[in-house]
Amino acid sequence: MRILRFVLRRLLQLVPVLLGVVVLTFLLVRVLPGDPIRTILGPNATEADAAAARARFGLDRPLWQQFLDYVGGLFTGDFGTSIQSGAPVGSEMALRVGPTMELVVIALAVALVLAVVLGIWSARHAGRFGDHTVRVAALIGNSVPEFWLGLVLVLVGYSVLGWFPAPSGRVDPDTELSLITGADLLDAALTANGPAFVSALEHLALPVATLVIVIVAPLLRSVRASALEVLASEAYTAAAAHGLKGRLLLRGYLVRATLVRLPALAALVFGFSIGSTVLVEYVFSWQGFGQWALRGLLYRDYPVVQASVLVIALFYVVVFLIADVVHAILDPRVRI
Amino acid sequence: MAEASGVREAGADRRFASSLITVGSVILAVVAVAVLFAPLLSSWGPEEIDPLASLAPPGGAHPLGTDLNGMDVWSRVLHAARLDVGIAVAAVALAVVAGSLVGLVAGYRGGWADDVLMRVLDVFQAFPTFILALAVAALLGGGTANLVAVIALVNAPAYARLVRAEVRSIRELPFVEASLTSGSSFWGVLWRHVLPNSLTPVRVIAPLNCGWAMLTLAGLSFLGLGVPLPTAEWGAMISLGSGDVVAGRWWTSVPPGLFLLICVLGFSLLGEGLQERADSTRR
Repeated sequence: MRILRFVLRRLLQLVPVLLGVVVLTFLLVRVLPGDPIRTILGPNATEADAAAARARFGLDRPLWQQFLDYVGGLFTGDFGTSIQSGAPVGSEMALRVGPTMELVVIALAVALVLAVVLGIWSARHAGRFGDHTVRVAALIGNSVPEFWLGLVLVLVGYSVLGWFPAPSGRVDPDTELSLITGADLLDAALTANGPAFVSALEHLALPVATLVIVIVAPLLRSVRASALEVLASEAYTAAAAHGLKGRLLLRGYLVRATLVRLPALAALVFGFSIGSTVLVEYVFSWQGFGQWALRGLLYRDYPVVQASVLVIALFYVVVFLIADVVHAILDPRVRI
Repeated sequence: MAEASGVREAGADRRFASSLITVGSVILAVVAVAVLFAPLLSSWGPEEIDPLASLAPPGGAHPLGTDLNGMDVWSRVLHAARLDVGIAVAAVALAVVAGSLVGLVAGYRGGWADDVLMRVLDVFQAFPTFILALAVAALLGGGTANLVAVIALVNAPAYARLVRAEVRSIRELPFVEASLTSGSSFWGVLWRHVLPNSLTPVRVIAPLNCGWAMLTLAGLSFLGLGVPLPTAEWGAMISLGSGDVVAGRWWTSVPPGLFLLICVLGFSLLGEGLQERADSTRR
């Protein structure tokens, strides 16, 4: 019950933030230079053509009316019509979210496991050579440009060794994978399409590896820092002094107490990895959400920009909310 | 016994911190030399075209080969350091000044100004910073001044929060009250006593932030939102060379990224070392 009230209160706090995002995006995209109509008409269009096109997308009406229409549409799940493609933004976006989520979720999962194992190991060997190596490696991971790392992996994995497919697309088209969620690995599993599953895995390997290397570093640092604190705590010292067995000490005392801090950080890293994913998608021609949103931005496709910005903000704040809830479950002190 | 090992660990921590700071400083010093003497270290201009060599492999007249346009990669990589380091440092400096001032006033004054500021920062922080930079840069358009502004804009909120939190605890301290009751003016106290003391965490974060700003800048340029070609800039160079990778031509994209990595690493090592030293002193 307490948890439920905690969640409700946090959800209410999100409302003004998201409202701010909606208003700000709506205004900014219109105030700043750039005209979406000119980009679809081409150089030979007359003023009359432009005016007609503007009327078709409702851009000739007063700003407040456009805004009310937009917000009204949001309540019914209508994100408007893309100026570039003429298709509904909602269904276009639905196709793009799956591939990107697949990339981010797998990378984050791998990075979390790696960070916990390496971070705790590093803390237990604090100050020694292995610990210093792990920390310097994490610093390098923190400093590497992800788009360049992706290119280097392509160079080695595809051009030199030939072990992985070329960086174009997410699955071999010959496998005739039918689209369900957009996340190819999941779709292949759902339709029991073996070759597509293997192909999707091969295509995922390099982009996932790129993301993992970039996001594991901050996670690792934090796990190590919390593990060090736990190791120095009185509770742990007492448990160790009572002669508890090594495995019990590790699982019962060190790991759980260390993991308490992880959710908030994982949420932060999730946001960071959304940013990196835009670049990684670009390198691997992933055709996901990031590339779609970027194209929308470049062509000033108002509805696409508004929808993608809102969805990213929504995802981000909801992930933080989930992190807070997990934290509250792990650490009862937070709920008070 | 426990105490003795604690002391030994603190000593080891401090030594590790010192070596991080040393290596980071050496890297940054080398970068500074490259920035200053770039024209002397390369025989070609950064935008000079060799009409006889397009995509020439490393060796001969071009130590790192040439790119698609026949420009010397070595010269461009060196000259790009000026722009990349310059923009990043300028942006972080601007973010520190603007963010600290806002945080200072909001934290010291409190009240409605503080409330409004915190709500605005909430909206800012509803986005991953790179996404925010990407959106603003795409809408504003590229160019050096715009890039400095964009990168400063996305970094400033963090400083505002940091300084605000520090100020709120410092303003309650006795020496502030003492200074006020002895007749110092509001702004005088703010400037002379509160500001210097609230900047401690900023000093540690700023170097780390410079590295991150360089990555943001290069990322934006890679996507075509930063500095336009033919200006020598690492992200734009990697972008131009990205098509060569599939054909196995490494020299157009690997060197600029490697230089960027080393430079960011210099800032990271320095920042990490400063942080570690601050932590071990506190302990």
